[in-house]
Amino acid sequence: MIVGEQKPFEKVYESVKEYKKVLILGCGTCVTVCMAGGEKEVGILASTIRLANKQNGIRMEIQEATVARQCDREFFDEVKDKINWADAVLSMACGVGVQFCSEVFEGKRVLPALNTRFYGTTEQQGIWSERCAGCGDCVLDKFGGICPIARCSKSLLNGPCGGSQDGKCEVDPDNIDCAWQLIYDRMKLLGCLENLEENQVIKDWSAGRDGGPGKIVREDMVL
Amino acid sequence: MAKKKSELIVLCCENSAYLAAESLTDTKIMQSVKVVMLPCSGRVEVGLILKFLENGAAGVLVLGCPLDNCKFVRGNYRAQKRVDVAMKALNDAGVNKDKVKIDFISSLDTHKFIALVKEMKSTLF
Amino acid sequence: MSELKAGSRLERIFEKGEFAITAELGPPKSADVEVIKTKAGYLNGNVDAVNITDNQTAIVRMSSIAAGYLAMQEGLEPIIQITCRDRNRISIQSDVLGAYALGIKNILCLTGDHQKFGNHPNSKNVFDMDSIQLIYMLKQMRDEKIFACGDEIKNSKKAPVVEPKIYIGGAANPFGDPFEFRVIRLAKKVKAGADFIQTQCIYDMDRFEEWMKQVRDRGIHEKVKIMAGVTPLKSVGMAKYMRDSVAGLSVPDYYIDRLSKAEDKAAEGIKICVEQIQKLREMEGIAGVHLMAIEWEKRVPEIVEQAGLLPRPEVNN
Repeated sequence: MIVGEQKPFEKVYESVKEYKKVLILGCGTCVTVCMAGGEKEVGILASTIRLANKQNGIRMEIQEATVARQCDREFFDEVKDKINWADAVLSMACGVGVQFCSEVFEGKRVLPALNTRFYGTTEQQGIWSERCAGCGDCVLDKFGGICPIARCSKSLLNGPCGGSQDGKCEVDPDNIDCAWQLIYDRMKLLGCLENLEENQVIKDWSAGRDGGPGKIVREDMVL
Repeated sequence: MAKKKSELIVLCCENSAYLAAESLTDTKIMQSVKVVMLPCSGRVEVGLILKFLENGAAGVLVLGCPLDNCKFVRGNYRAQKRVDVAMKALNDAGVNKDKVKIDFISSLDTHKFIALVKEMKSTLF
Repeated sequence: MSELKAGSRLERIFEKGEFAITAELGPPKSADVEVIKTKAGYLNGNVDAVNITDNQTAIVRMSSIAAGYLAMQEGLEPIIQITCRDRNRISIQSDVLGAYALGIKNILCLTGDHQKFGNHPNSKNVFDMDSIQLIYMLKQMRDEKIFACGDEIKNSKKAPVVEPKIYIGGAANPFGDPFEFRVIRLAKKVKAGADFIQTQCIYDMDRFEEWMKQVRDRGIHEKVKIMAGVTPLKSVGMAKYMRDSVAGLSVPDYYIDRLSKAEDKAAEGIKICVEQIQKLREMEGIAGVHLMAIEWEKRVPEIVEQAGLLPRPEVNN
């Protein structure tokens, strides 16, 4: 899923305090799972802003709502009245949701409450980590299901580099496993270690962001 | 509606603090204090604490079982972390962090219950 | 002598069967040319070629090619370095053409330290390729005379092909993790086209000999010229620092003991270094030594002399 975390409160508050009618809009999918922008988090942020407003003598009406997803048009229908009422929407969705809300409601001020961080997984409740870089040309078959583009700090295809020690990446040994140690161990487990002796050729990065913003059209699906 | 005098909310774990509170004989100390029972202090939510304060509570005192004595093993540790988050939110909002506190008492320690409530009341009122 | 690939002094030394010695020169963290002149002064005539680092540890320094060219003017043969951190395939190939045009013949291909270690940790990194792909790209330029995209290296359809004839180097870390994979990675670099390899600095000779045995078992030492890295220890503090803070590096206790007991620690450190070089000369499969006297370049002449490697052989024929 897309994993994000909340911006520091001061930044969010600074961006929203000039508005008189604010809708705090949560998202029920990815950011709920990573506990950053779901219904619960909307409640906490709303309370914090109200307490801050009281402290600062700021008059602001706040409404709260959460929709299933902010990246699909249909889910905005149920909150369109609230959105129209607001003079600013503080969206707790990922960057996609914030932008899409802004697109669907042309002219409406939509502000981000989150920093979108990465495509990742829930390792366990409360801990999320990156898995995919969206490179557009998946090579997971070559590395036993572990992505060196996303999980190696240098995106090496013929790793490891000299900074791998005790299975950790020297860039942040407390938090980052050396992807190449993981790949080595996995390929050993799968019995295909000799595949790592093959020199991987230089990557075509144009399928990902380096080729420009992406777009996919399914003619058979377009109405 | 008449404006209610703001109260100190005491969120009590039913396995410890609530039992300690039940043995109270002196009711004067419980003026402007409201006790709310929780199945475990670990059930406390950041949003709940903030909502109490938003709605006019003077402060929130969370009381759980002594550390390493939680009926549900780590509930009180979890409560501690969540109180920390609530305190940070208060700090962000420019509100005095001392409005929220957490402590740990056993079911027999009515004296400690009284002392903690008295101390918190003197801080808030 | 068989057909030379680049004709650099380093290549000629290897081809002649002589034991090679290279050193390192870090370019200045400013536009101060005097730094290069001073360091070159110590190294000139005492070593066969000199590595010119490329923004080592991700700290901004004068570019390797510029500093390499200036070093050349002082009489040194440069081995310029290219890392994968800061440049994509377009700028690297461009730099290689430029370096060769300036007369630079040796290029060491490295992955590069992550920018978080340097003075610009907020920069974007590139890593368009890794060191193995970089080695291969340079080999393609030299031997197949094509760019990475497949185009021939010529200015126009009718123009002649003028490819860069570069002597290609890579680095090896015998002690990194996973230990069992290190020799395989070295083999990959050789397969990609490395002509010579420099290792990280070694203190634990026994462990290094274990690694070299694996290298020899695979016949790698016959396909590539291996230079063992050495760094003279200046003090007990430095020895302990290297043991405790540098990934994969082990400094045997007997060196630390010797340094502690010595009156003149620096002199003892030099002595240890000379002994190491002499041991490495005896090791089968070692074609030379890469002497990294970091910020201690002025001791290089005496180390090389005491190791019995002076004067350097004549190889221009």
